[in-house]
Amino acid sequence: MRMRDLITVCLQNLRRHKARTLLTVLGVVVGCCSVVIMISIGIGMKKAQEEALAQMGDLTIIQVYPAGKGVRSARLNKKTVNQMKRLKGVAAATPKLTEEGVPIVLYGGRDKRYRTAYTSVVGIDLSTAETMGYKLTEGEWKTEKKDRVYVGQHFAYTFEDTKRPEGKNTVDMYGGGWSEDGTLTPPPPFFDVMKTPITLEMDSGKEDGKKAVQALEVGGRLKEDYGKGEETFMGMIISLDTFEALLDQQSRLAGKTRDGRKGYQGALVKVSEIGYVAQVEKEIQKMGFRTSSMESIRKPMEQEARQKQLMLGGLGTISLFVAALGITNTMIMSISERTREIGVMKSLGCFVKDVRKIFLLEAGCIGLMGGIAGTAFSFLISALMNIAASRSPSSLSGELTMGGTARLSVIPWWLAVFAVLFSVAIGVGAGFYPANRAVKIPALEAIKHDS
Amino acid sequence: MAGKNPIIHVQNVRKVYRMGDEEVVALNRINLKIYEGEVCCIFGTSGSGKSTLLNQLAGMEKPTGGRVLIQGRNISAMSEEELAAFRQQHIGFIFQSYNLLPSMTAVENVAMPLMFRGVEKEKREKQARMLLKRVGLSHRLDHYPGQMSGGQQQRAGIARAFVTRPQVVFADEPTGNLDSRTTEEIMKMIMEFAGRYKETIILVTHDPGMARFADRIVTLKDGNIIGDERKDENGRYV
Repeated sequence: MRMRDLITVCLQNLRRHKARTLLTVLGVVVGCCSVVIMISIGIGMKKAQEEALAQMGDLTIIQVYPAGKGVRSARLNKKTVNQMKRLKGVAAATPKLTEEGVPIVLYGGRDKRYRTAYTSVVGIDLSTAETMGYKLTEGEWKTEKKDRVYVGQHFAYTFEDTKRPEGKNTVDMYGGGWSEDGTLTPPPPFFDVMKTPITLEMDSGKEDGKKAVQALEVGGRLKEDYGKGEETFMGMIISLDTFEALLDQQSRLAGKTRDGRKGYQGALVKVSEIGYVAQVEKEIQKMGFRTSSMESIRKPMEQEARQKQLMLGGLGTISLFVAALGITNTMIMSISERTREIGVMKSLGCFVKDVRKIFLLEAGCIGLMGGIAGTAFSFLISALMNIAASRSPSSLSGELTMGGTARLSVIPWWLAVFAVLFSVAIGVGAGFYPANRAVKIPALEAIKHDS
Repeated sequence: MAGKNPIIHVQNVRKVYRMGDEEVVALNRINLKIYEGEVCCIFGTSGSGKSTLLNQLAGMEKPTGGRVLIQGRNISAMSEEELAAFRQQHIGFIFQSYNLLPSMTAVENVAMPLMFRGVEKEKREKQARMLLKRVGLSHRLDHYPGQMSGGQQQRAGIARAFVTRPQVVFADEPTGNLDSRTTEEIMKMIMEFAGRYKETIILVTHDPGMARFADRIVTLKDGNIIGDERKDENGRYV
């Protein structure tokens, strides 16, 4: 038989029992909906997770630390950092120099009026700062000058006014009032860091009071980023070479030589693509360093998300299988009603394979109708869910979207296509057993005289 | 009227049914030759084995022993697909209970055997309409079986049996469900078609009144052929 005729016959049969067909299709609609919605929630969850991760920090930056303090452990110095730079997939690398043992005091304003101590100063290759994901709220990246520094977002609040009495000599950045839209407005600090020269002093610790001094120019204010560290909050980043020169000078004044061989306290490695992260991390670990990146957080999170998605999808699939039983049931009923018809068709020369095709087609048709209607319905439910979730930040939606702005349920185009195809496949699958029963009905049924 | 070549050749056909532990012999070594263009009536009371014989002739059942040749081809040894193809090409059926599909119109029902062959819709329905006109149903073309009387349904059944121009048409108690006036009409129509297309008709009945339409009457009793008469020029059976 021609395909067109097969379809015509199949539709004629489905039309004959409209109510029954409709109910069976409805079963598939429910099943298809539950699969799509469950998977869409899984996808929504994953999207939210990705967003949350992206907020936490750049996924392509690897932090490198020395493995230990032992003599034999690998040193993190210019040479090893350069080695890292040459690894495949690495876009940039910079050492990260922090010096905790040295007393650093910063002064701002005229006549050293404002003063702060214990500031976290980090020396990096400033030309890589932008690549490494440092972001500016003010100023711009002009890193050629050696006295250029970039300060943390709330750097100004760390200063105390030496001309005011104790207790009134600082500005509390949390001391501001609430604005109308519910956000905290911090009070203005003593001075504008962008317009005020800053001086850095390192005391030698000796009686003579000699200090290493460096006048600094603030090139910009960094955006606070917990993934980066304290320097983006109330500290500053400074040119690595300038910082090292200062530290050397301070050591000389103190009558010591700075032990530069100890190496840096850390390094940052930027990878060009996320796919390289794991590989580059492995290489760096092979060199004898410890590493950490978002990859090590992302991987288990991703795995968990995948598991949840599978579980949700599995739950949805169960209802689709129930719908499949419905299709099988309907088809068996329809076949037992049509026993004589099938006999007649066979005695008039209908091929066995065509009989099978007719019934598989009918079952597939039910699956197709249910799949299309179910997918359409899923889009509606998904939209309603997202509206409901955005209006009432309940604990459930909060947890599922991890407090992000992502939607609760996301249906990508491939899910819609997959849902329809899957429903058809389920339908055809459910039709196999009934079709085989139909095929076995003998032509003899046509001439039984029992009606 | 009958040709010289046997179109159906029944050789030693035996059919035994198993009813629990008991064996029932429905056909006991039947030998029969039916010639081209013959209108052959298989006559017998119920339980005589006439329906069983029809089943063997049409390939609906496999005989326990022996074989049935139609146009020299052993249909007893054919697979289901081969049989389907054979039926499409050579065989037509007229049923007692008409057996029109209720979801199809008269035209679609008549065109159905051609649809199984894969003939285009337009072509096969044109042919179906032609045949329906010939059986006097030009005003019922797009009616469903449920909207037609028994006689009209059987006319559509006749049109369906002849639409493929088969060599052999099996008619199984074709008027069993009809009143006597309609029976007359239907039988005349079958005979007219058989004559026009030079077709072989196998008519199965228990009604002696129907048997008189045939050229030849084969009488069965208890699974054996007990009579085989042909109509002579004067219309008497000898």
